[in-house]
Amino acid sequence: MTDWNAMSDEAFRREMRAFIEAEYPRELRYILRRARWDEMKGWWGKLYGKGWIAPNWPRAEGGMGLDAGKMVIYLEEMERYGVARSPDQGITQVGPILMQFGTEAQKRHYLPRTLSGECIWCQGYSEPNAGSDLASLQTAAVPEGDHFVVNGQKIWTTLAHDATHIYLLARTDRQAKKQQGISFLLADLKTPGITIRPIRNIAGHEEFCEVFFDRVRVPRENLVGKLNEGWTVAKALLSFERLNIGSPRRPQYALRRLEMLARAKGLLDDPGFVDRFIALKLDLEDLASLYGRFVGRAKRGEPLGEDVSMLKIWAMETWQQLTELLIEAGAEEGVIAGVREIAGVETDFLSPFYYARPATIYGGSSEIQRNILAKYVLKLPS
Amino acid sequence: MAAASGTHTNPGVEHRALLAESVAHFVARATDIARVRRLRGSPAEHDRAAWTKMAGLGWLGILVPERYGGLGLGLTEMAIVAGGLARGLVPEPLNAAGVLATTALVAGDNEALKREQLPRMVAGTVLPALAWQERAATLDAGAIACRAGPFEGGFRLNGAKRFVAGAAQADAFLVSANTPSGVAIFWLPRGAAGVELALEPLADGRSFGTLTLRDALAPAAQVVASGAAAAEALALALDRAAAIASAELHGVMSRALEMSLEYLRTRVQFARPIGSFQALQHRAVDLHIQKELASAVLEDALAALDREPAPAARAALASRVKSRCSDAALRITRETIQLHGAIGFTDEYDAGLYLKRALVLAAWLGGGAAHRRRYAALEGVNRES
Repeated sequence: MTDWNAMSDEAFRREMRAFIEAEYPRELRYILRRARWDEMKGWWGKLYGKGWIAPNWPRAEGGMGLDAGKMVIYLEEMERYGVARSPDQGITQVGPILMQFGTEAQKRHYLPRTLSGECIWCQGYSEPNAGSDLASLQTAAVPEGDHFVVNGQKIWTTLAHDATHIYLLARTDRQAKKQQGISFLLADLKTPGITIRPIRNIAGHEEFCEVFFDRVRVPRENLVGKLNEGWTVAKALLSFERLNIGSPRRPQYALRRLEMLARAKGLLDDPGFVDRFIALKLDLEDLASLYGRFVGRAKRGEPLGEDVSMLKIWAMETWQQLTELLIEAGAEEGVIAGVREIAGVETDFLSPFYYARPATIYGGSSEIQRNILAKYVLKLPS
Repeated sequence: MAAASGTHTNPGVEHRALLAESVAHFVARATDIARVRRLRGSPAEHDRAAWTKMAGLGWLGILVPERYGGLGLGLTEMAIVAGGLARGLVPEPLNAAGVLATTALVAGDNEALKREQLPRMVAGTVLPALAWQERAATLDAGAIACRAGPFEGGFRLNGAKRFVAGAAQADAFLVSANTPSGVAIFWLPRGAAGVELALEPLADGRSFGTLTLRDALAPAAQVVASGAAAAEALALALDRAAAIASAELHGVMSRALEMSLEYLRTRVQFARPIGSFQALQHRAVDLHIQKELASAVLEDALAALDREPAPAARAALASRVKSRCSDAALRITRETIQLHGAIGFTDEYDAGLYLKRALVLAAWLGGGAAHRRRYAALEGVNRES
């Protein structure tokens, strides 16, 4: 087994780059939507075959065991080539959670299957009445013999229709206050009583779903962590997610597209446009400096802290503004649906705009991130 | 001069910790806001005794090589001092004299003048000011109309300079002018024949000097730099001073934001601390993000500038950091008034002092928009130059 961390950064980067360029399907570069499993399974198999599917997992569990520095390179190289995100919640969420909280049997069963792509996971957290206020969730899991009986509804479940399994938060104690009565469960989506209904988003894609649970019997051994302690389990991974989501790379791609188009259309001779463009470019460069600080902390093994929320706010809001300026730069052509050739540049104005819209909603809305910063970082009273 | 911070990592870290400590000590003991208020608008503007104390702490020599009696440190160290002093609105012109004017002399090509004047500047006995600018809204040190004609083995200068920072008590002016063979910088003592100084009062109680030169004479020995060395010395001085002004803006915005947060935590209305209202919390968070962005850019830019990049890269870094810090400081200090309500608008309360300092520091050496335009040009985004 290769110790990737012992490799020089440059050598590691080179090897990754060569592999990605050789193996990743060209038609899936920079797609401005979530990729579906059918599109991605070939690439998943390539990564799995090379032992590269789980950069964040320890080598003993079949991962690459990358340290924070190499992890950043891994993500950078993927994003540099425009590699789409796979339905990867099993790798990013379920694996690390099971390694920290799971039983031996759970690890033995799920970890290898999650790596191979036999188990594809979706996340059952949000509910119709539990969005930003996630802890008010009502989906109930009632113990009955060696099972829980689950009733309720999840919503905004990304790619549930591509998944084989769901990890979910359910209420196991109605008396306890909010966060305390919640448990973390794993369920096979083929279990009788589960119904999945895709929801079409404003971009016209069916990326998220509703998942209904009607007297669904989930084996007790699928409880992860202790009963009523699911909130702790779910929270454990949030800060790394915010670091990753706060990376400047996605908005950088939007900026490059915008600059290419602006150049082709002669907009760089318009001082009004240039003012706004350069302000956004600097917003992004400065984000890179801020991101570098947090990466530095992660590399030194320091805890990220609640202030990592500011990365997500700034990255996502800057990204949105770039996609807004792209549409504005397109003027009348900016609202024509689909890919057009504008002044010699293949341009899709609307897809980047739609793609960036939910970024300030998912993963904790910008408003929730601001609440977190106000409370934990600025120590403002509640 | 920056090599010290790049090559000796541990001494660098040590220097920095010591510097930060002595700055905090100085701000706590040697100055206070009452002194700032006393000096604002006064003809002296600042206190020569405090300047001597700063010299004694070595701060005036941070950017001066050791062979001229300085410490030979970098902008990172200077930013610790200037940023810390700015938190206390310390009125002594550390940046104008110790960065802008000092860099112009250090980067010049007159070795004898350096040996003569730099030790005095480091000791605080000679306080210099750089007179490079002639019109508003330019970052181009080469935009010079002042003329220096050859005269009796030296030069005779005519023209006017404006917006000279730290002029009120300056002992000597480093003045840029065009000679028949290109740009040069001249050392003109205060009060020399044909050198007339007028002061324009500023929002923050300091002033910009206007220097009128009427047949002012500079012997050849007083030429700080000429030709390419002069042009490069001016450009370097402006970029370095812009970076340090950014550190000062960061100090100003940090203190202002602290004042706002403290007020939000303690001011009670509607039977609750006003900081419990989400509308105000989110505004405070947005200000905090601006401050953190400024701080991250500043750290990156100072480290990069201390590696002495090529002029275009250096200018881009200076523009990047000055743009962010100017706008962030203006926004935070304006909002500090708003978050405090009416009390923030009183002269008695300190919020206004921070806003006014931010206004001046943001405008001096180019504001956000000016630096974004220069950055665009340097990055090849637009065709303006």
